[in-house]
Amino acid sequence: MYVIKEAKAFVDAVANEPGGEKINECIQCGVCSGSCTTVEWWEYPPRKLIAMIRAGMKEQVLSSASAFNCVTCYLCTVRCPRDIKPSALMHAVMAIAEREGYKPKTPTLTLFRTLRESMKRGRIWDFGMAARFYFSSNIFNGFKVMPVALALISRGLMPIMPPKPIKSGEIKAILNKVRSIQGTGGKR
Amino acid sequence: MKYLYYPGCAMETTGVPIQMSIDAISNVLGIEFETMKDWTCCGCPGEAINELAAVSLAARNLALAEKSDLDLVAPCSCCYRNLLGAHVILSEDRKVRAQVKEALAAAGLEYKGTVKVRTLIDVLINDVGLELIRSKVKNQLSGLKVGAYYGCHQSRPYGPDHPEFPVWQDWIVESLGAESVFFPLKAQCCGGAQLFSQRAMVTELVARLLNNAEVHGAKCIASTLCPLCFTNLDVNQGRIKNRAGSNFAMPIVAISQLMGVAFGLPPRDLGLHKNVSPVDKVLAPYLQVRI
Ligand code: SF4
Ligand code: SF4
Repeated sequence: MYVIKEAKAFVDAVANEPGGEKINECIQCGVCSGSCTTVEWWEYPPRKLIAMIRAGMKEQVLSSASAFNCVTCYLCTVRCPRDIKPSALMHAVMAIAEREGYKPKTPTLTLFRTLRESMKRGRIWDFGMAARFYFSSNIFNGFKVMPVALALISRGLMPIMPPKPIKSGEIKAILNKVRSIQGTGGKR
Repeated sequence: MKYLYYPGCAMETTGVPIQMSIDAISNVLGIEFETMKDWTCCGCPGEAINELAAVSLAARNLALAEKSDLDLVAPCSCCYRNLLGAHVILSEDRKVRAQVKEALAAAGLEYKGTVKVRTLIDVLINDVGLELIRSKVKNQLSGLKVGAYYGCHQSRPYGPDHPEFPVWQDWIVESLGAESVFFPLKAQCCGGAQLFSQRAMVTELVARLLNNAEVHGAKCIASTLCPLCFTNLDVNQGRIKNRAGSNFAMPIVAISQLMGVAFGLPPRDLGLHKNVSPVDKVLAPYLQVRI
């Protein structure tokens, strides 16, 4: 009984997350995994991940880097016969993993955090965002992308100086409200 | 033809050549853009780990756009998809609607749900029309084999073009006198922002679709107007091998740049000197001056 209750708590948590609502309607047909652009990089492909969530395998699901390979291409979503929106479901998994402090082995979690942070300026500052990301993940990867960065910088396509913040007060007010609605209070 | 214009952050950085060519061709075609005042990031960068934040930031822009009754044109596919997606979610999901209402109220804003979000390709096909585009062509691009690349978000998941095998850019390419080459991966993902975190994976995705276009005979790519797609294809080629085993040198132009070439506009006005991939050779027969 205990195990079943635990399992239900996890699937309910996913169903309560925006994008996770329809998880119980999945028929496990595998169309999402078969369509997935990046499937060979996933330890547990989308269909399997859904099965694992419904089996209550919380630790394995949230510690896995699998969902972070989703490039949000929507192929699964336009093909899923049950209109589950697996892309949104993967976002829900990522959101829970991020919020609950799991540490899946992938720099993409850091990237998404950096991107979210960079929205606060009102407009994204590519160079600053990238620098920040490489500093907080792996600076050596930053050196490896230097040729690409230089190609862009020399063409004036990646300003090193930040643009003027636009309406960042408004943005912060909105994002703070979002955070309080989500009940994640002081955590980032 | 007048529209409200949402450039998106990347149009001011990596998308500069695309923006230059959009300005140049809209001038020729008589499209008037009124750039939204005080637009901010569409919210897309936050989508993967916080959907409510992404929808709320999109809704902020929609609330501002609503003050005008013009259609809102977003040339970047990600902005388009996130703005339209927010509009759809807000009209379908009562819970999210209530939450976003509260979030916007914190900034003294409200979105009533009346904005029509469109891609520029949609405008070119359905408002401008191929007839008018054809009439502006000064240099027929005859003999040029072009692979039209769409990426994901321009037509997936919301359309209005076909979600898996879109055709509108092919129609534009043909109306310029060029030959559009079908390749199955024309609407496959470019890898997006994961370029930063999973470079090997994204390079592999780009390699696949460029190889696919090459195998089907494309001599250059007419890319979607999305700065992310365009840049991922344009700058990542050095590490990719083509069929012959040498490093890839597929010329990547934004479809607006290709239109500008056919309209006889100076290449510098189209930002062609800013493309990283080698575009001069393949376009030279159609240009009066060197890039
Ligand atoms: S395609 Fe839809 S129904 Fe089929 S396994 Fe994936 S989520 Fe489930
Ligand atoms: S949206 Fe994500 S899960 Fe769905 S097919 Fe694309 S990469 Fe795979």
